[in-house]
Order: sequence, then C-alpha cells, then structure tokens
Amino acid sequence: MRGSLTAGRSSRRLEIGFKALLLLALSLALITLTVLIVDIVADGVGGLSLSFLTDVPSQIIPENSGIGPAISGTLWLMLVCAAFIIPVGVATAVYLEEYADRSRWFNRAIEVNIQNLAAVPSIVYGILGLAFLVRGPLSLGNVVLAGGLTLGLLVLPVLIVAGREAVRAVPPSIREGSMALGATKWQTIWKQVLPAALPGIATGVILSLSRAIGETAPLIVVGAVSFATFIPSGFGAEITALPIQIFDWVSQPQPEFKTLAAAGIIVLMLILLSMNAVAVWLRNKFEQKW
Amino acid sequence: MSRQQVRHEYERQLEALEASALESLDFVVIAVDRTIEAIEHRDIELAELVVADDDVIDGRYLEVHQRLLTLLATQAPVAGDLRVVAALLHLMKNVERMGDQCVNIAKLLPITGHEAPSDEKIVKNIVTMGRQVRTLAKQSKRAFAERDVELARDLVRQDDLVDKLNRECFQIAIAIGDDLDMREWATTMILVSRALERIGDNAVDIGEQVAFVVTGLFREFQDASHPGE
Amino acid sequence: MSDRTMTEREDPAETRASPAFDLSGAVHGSDGGAEAPMGKAVFRLEDVTVSYDAKPAVSEVTMDIPHNQITALIGPSGCGKSTLIRCLNRMNDLIPSASVDGRVLYHDQDIYGPEIDAVEVRKRIGMVFQKPNPFPKSIYDNIAFGPRVLGMKGDMDEIVERGLSGAALWDEVKDRLDTNAFGMSGGQQQRLCIARCLAVQPDVILMDEPCSALDPISTGKIEDLMLELKREYSIVIVTHNMQQAARVSDRTAFLIVKLDADEKHRQGRLVEYDRTEKIFTNPSDSRTEDYVSGKVG
Repeated sequence: MRGSLTAGRSSRRLEIGFKALLLLALSLALITLTVLIVDIVADGVGGLSLSFLTDVPSQIIPENSGIGPAISGTLWLMLVCAAFIIPVGVATAVYLEEYADRSRWFNRAIEVNIQNLAAVPSIVYGILGLAFLVRGPLSLGNVVLAGGLTLGLLVLPVLIVAGREAVRAVPPSIREGSMALGATKWQTIWKQVLPAALPGIATGVILSLSRAIGETAPLIVVGAVSFATFIPSGFGAEITALPIQIFDWVSQPQPEFKTLAAAGIIVLMLILLSMNAVAVWLRNKFEQKW
Repeated sequence: MSRQQVRHEYERQLEALEASALESLDFVVIAVDRTIEAIEHRDIELAELVVADDDVIDGRYLEVHQRLLTLLATQAPVAGDLRVVAALLHLMKNVERMGDQCVNIAKLLPITGHEAPSDEKIVKNIVTMGRQVRTLAKQSKRAFAERDVELARDLVRQDDLVDKLNRECFQIAIAIGDDLDMREWATTMILVSRALERIGDNAVDIGEQVAFVVTGLFREFQDASHPGE
Repeated sequence: MSDRTMTEREDPAETRASPAFDLSGAVHGSDGGAEAPMGKAVFRLEDVTVSYDAKPAVSEVTMDIPHNQITALIGPSGCGKSTLIRCLNRMNDLIPSASVDGRVLYHDQDIYGPEIDAVEVRKRIGMVFQKPNPFPKSIYDNIAFGPRVLGMKGDMDEIVERGLSGAALWDEVKDRLDTNAFGMSGGQQQRLCIARCLAVQPDVILMDEPCSALDPISTGKIEDLMLELKREYSIVIVTHNMQQAARVSDRTAFLIVKLDADEKHRQGRLVEYDRTEKIFTNPSDSRTEDYVSGKVG
C-alpha cells in the first residue's frame, strides 16, 4: 500500500495561515512597544539632564524639578526589600526543595499558597502593609522600613519560585556525590547546592527587585509622599519612590510636568533594563551545563 | 601523543601463563635426560623416578589448561593473544604426550632387567637420539618464546636425524641374531626408539604452533601422508 | 652421557624435593582450588530485602563480600543490583520511600542498627556513580571537599596529591589543579571521582556502573585502576557489562528479575555467587549459564 507523498493542498494552506497569524501577533506587540518607547523618548528627552537626577521636585518651577529624592527613596526601599527577601526567599526555596516531604498536606498547602500569592493584586499587599506594618501589630509608621517590607512581601513569591528552580537545577548526582563522601545534608546544601545554585538565585533576586522597583499602588497605600522636598536617608525616613514621583507628575495639568514625567519614565526604564541585562548576563556567564 | 597502555593485569596474566606452559618443556627435557641415562646405565630406580615425576607434567598440563580456559572466559582475548592461547592449548597437549612417551620408555626398562644383554651400537644410537630429542624440545621452547619461525622450521631438519636414527635402530635390531634374550631386548629398544621419535614429532608440532602464532597460518610443516611435497 | 645432563641431574632423592618439581606449586596455581578460602569478609549480607513503598525491589540476598577483593554484581536490568549496592553505604536513605530488611553487617556491625549514623557509614564506604559527577569547582577543590567537611588534619596539598596519585591522575592534571573539573574528559572526570573518594581514606569503594558512560580506553584505565586499588581497598562493582565483571572481579554475584505470583511486581533475587572464573567457565545454575553466554537477557 503506497500513499501519495505530496501534502494535501488544504493542509499546506492551513500551515501558512497559522504562521501568518502568529507573525501578526508578534509584530503587533513589537509595534506597540516601539511606539510607546519612541513617544516617551520624544516627550522626555528634553527634560533629561544631570541636575534632573539630583534636584528636588518643585511645583512652582518645573524646569528646576528633579528626581533626587525619588531615586534615593527607591534605593532605600530596595535595600530593605533585598535584605528581607534574600534570606527568607532562599531559605524557603531550600526548605521546599530539600527538606519538605511532599506527601505531607501542609507542605503541599504551602506550595499552593505561594503560587497563589504570586497572583494576588499588588494593592492587596499595600493594604496588608498598611494594616500590619504601618499600623496594627508592628506600627512602624509611614517609613521606608514598612514600605520596603511591603514590597518584599509582594515579590517574595517571585524569588521563591526562581530560587526553587535554581536549587532544583542542581542535579541530584551532586548531592549524592557529596553525601557519599560523608558530608552531612547541611554541609551538602551549604557547600555544594547553594554555591551551584547561586547564579540562578542571584538572577531571581534581580528580577524580584526589578518587579518591586516599578510598583506604585502598594506604596501609595502605605503612605508614600508624592511631593518630597527632602532626601530620604535611613529606614525611618518617609517613603518616596520613582514611580510615585512619576505618578504625581502625570496627574499635574501643566505640559511641563508631562515632560518631567516622561524623563522620569526614561530613567526608570533604563534602571529596569540594566537590571534585567545584569540578570541575563549572570545567567549566561555562570550557568552550569550539567 | 603516545599510545596509552591499558589492561596491564591481563597482559601480565597472559605472560605468566605462557611462561608457565613453556616451563613444562623444561620438565620434558629433564625427563628425557633421565630416561636416556636410565637406558645407558640400566638404572631402573631412575626409570621409576621418571614415571613418578610425570605427575608434575600432567599436573602442569591440567593447571595451564584450566587457567587458559579461565583467561578465555574472563578476558576474551582476540587476534594475536587469541592465537597464543590456542597455540598454548596445543602446546600443553604435546608436552603431555612427550612426558607420556618418557613414561612409556621408563616402563619398558624393568622388563629388560639389570642383566639383559645389550648391543653397544643400539645403545649408542638411542643415546644420540635422546640428545637430539632433548635439543628439539629445548629448541621448540626457544622458538615459541622468541616467536622465531625460522628456528621453528629448523625443527623439521633436526627431526630428520631422529627419524634416520630410528630407522637405523630398526635395521640393527632386525639383524641382531638368534639369541632370544638379545632379540627381546632389541625389540624393546625398537619401542624405545619409536617413542623417542614420537617426542621429536611433538616438538615439530610445537614449531608449527609457533608459525601459527606469528603468521596466523595453521598448517603442518611436513605432511606425513604426502612426504616430500 | 653429556656433562650438561649430569649437571641437571641431581641425586634422585634430592630431585624429588627440588623446587622445579614442587607438586603443590605446579598443580595448585594462583587460581587456587575449587574451595579456595574467601578470606576475611568486609560485608555480610543476611537476608537483605530492599523495598520501595513496601514493594521489594531485591529480596532475601545473603552473601559475604571479601576483604581486599573485587566483587561484581551482574544481572539484567531491574534485577536490583544498583539498589543492592546502594544499601551498602545507606545511599538508599536519600530516597524516602526506601526501606531495608535483614542485616547488612559491615565488620560485624549492622549498618542499619539504631545507633548507627549514616554519615559515619558513608565516611568509610565511598561510592563512585554511573555518570561522572564532579562538583562544579576546581580539580583541587573537588578532592579537598571531602577531607575539609570531615575535618581531616594534615597538609591539604599533600592530601590532594595523594588522592590524585591514587587514581593515576596526578601526572595528567598537576599543572591545572585550579581549573574547573568540567574541563576534563569523561574518563578523567570519573577518575577524579575515584580520587575524591580515595582522599577521605575509605575502607570500601562501591562502584555503580562506573564505566557505562566511558569509551573503551577510559574503561580500560579504570579497570587497571581497580586492580591496583584492590591491594588497599575492598571494591564492590555493579556492572551491566558482563565482560567487565569477568575481567576485573574476583567474585561475581548473579541476580535475576523474578515476577511475583500475581505477575505484576518484579523483584531481584540472587541466583549464584561464586569465584568469577567459576561463574564464567562452569556456573552451577543454568540461568547463570544462559545469562553469561548472552542467550538470555
């Protein structure tokens, strides 16, 4: 029994049609992105200058306005956020991958919860931060510490997922090799698994922070100051951040502020892109081929 | 980059096995020497020793045979090594036969007794044969150890002398005369001569194995059924 | 009568006892008789059954593993030979569902006894795995890791050199000790894993199909190394390559896969355990014969 080797006309046509559809979707996304970037750059490039990065914002003279306090505030927030998520996130990832017995219901419950937490809207975290950190049990007040921790809670699931993947990517043979030499489980994790997973974990940390850096809603809820005439310096300082500043400028009616907002967006985007670039570089450079 | 040498242990095993097999030819040489001396001096005790010590050759035969089988089963030798193993199996069989021929001779001697008559010519002939046969045994060992095909082929030439002496013995024995004891002794010597001749043939067979190991060609140097070809 | 003959011939009485005619040496060669003593046992397995999720993977194995010899476990896939070797240094502990019944006596001590620490067991019983698994570190750190975590005293450089020399690797890598171990060839990586194992000075080395990922030359090197190592260590090797077991081991255990009565669950069983040459020249069990002659998988 010998069938024809030539493909049917209709199936060929379907193939081509499908390909065209996919290309269309892709180009739509790319065009939107390009238009957005070009529009922002065109709007904001005039507002960019060295003094823009250091000056405090002014509502009277937009030309003298700057994002100094916003950048400083963002840095402080990120510091708190990183100091919180790195130990907690890595420890959780290691526990879930190395110790948790998946046949126990509470371990499965934790896993499901972490996945769900990643999908919770960020405003909810803001309310959580307000209720538990700013007021409520901890009563930290409207300070950087509370804001950083709120952002940390928000991105913790991201880091845990990335950390688990990094730990899981270390092949079991490494653990076996280490244990077979008489190393304890803790020595194996600390001296073999974590060093081998470090590039993946570092990538996860950067991606988590880059998610946190662009957040606005939870900060507003925990009481970020949109018009900061001070440079925050410390965990107890009042909260301000780059996206908050941009948000403030965008809501101003004057066109000068539109330029400032666009310039702020350019700065924020540059920070984000460079963080992501570092993450990609880390991954490519230290990724271990097993 | 130089070639990497591996499987040292196997090499060592094979070498030790070959040495052990070839050493058995030394036992044959000693047995031949004693046999000839027993004939020359009518030393029946020495003849009995030849019979007793054949156990050593037989023991070595069994041992080497078993070790060769183990080597075949466990190390799976191929090519040149396989030819060596096959040749050693042959060689051990030949050695065992050579030892048995010495035993055959040694067992004949008590029949003739201490005081049997003897013929100087025949005894001289047999002693010459014996020396030639011991040379053949030694030469076959050297040819195998050194993988010397020329030396192995030379065994045929050396063996011709043994054949010639064997025929002479036969001729002399036939013409020995009417004395019954003398005729009995002479007939026994024909058997002795025949046994020595067989030892020489076995040495030639070992030479054929040398050629097989070196060239990979398995054929007889001399075809008894088509002489002179 | 030639002079030569005279010199070779000695007094008959003396000749009988001369070394060339030493019957005991000639008949009983190095391979020993059929009942050769096994020597000191390093492991005694008594009715060992290893199960996963309460289903036995290998059942009722009783065997003694001799000191300073190479013992090979062979058998078709799924016969439980890897499972068995992994229970000798409690590597099965890493699999939560695994359990061991019976007794595994190591120098007369049950390694599954209640007071036994698995970490202590693994210090003395090293393991080399199927796929070379160097740590993603320098060659030096690969060797030094074990001694460091065990807190071994002494000059680390010396410990590293001794480990690498023991695995016949020192000359090949002494000029690049600080390069990453992943830059080595597969065979070198496996010898590195052996060197790593030697550095913690174990008593026994378990090898779980150590050459299955290697080319013939690398395999030959590892086999040579094993024969070298058995002077000082007791070695147990699992191999799917029968010829390898034949080449290197002193004793061979043959396991088969047996179906349960309900024909659903498969489990391994020990069929025959004897000197290697016996297994390969004259096995007692016909199933062993069929397997070693390649007639039955």
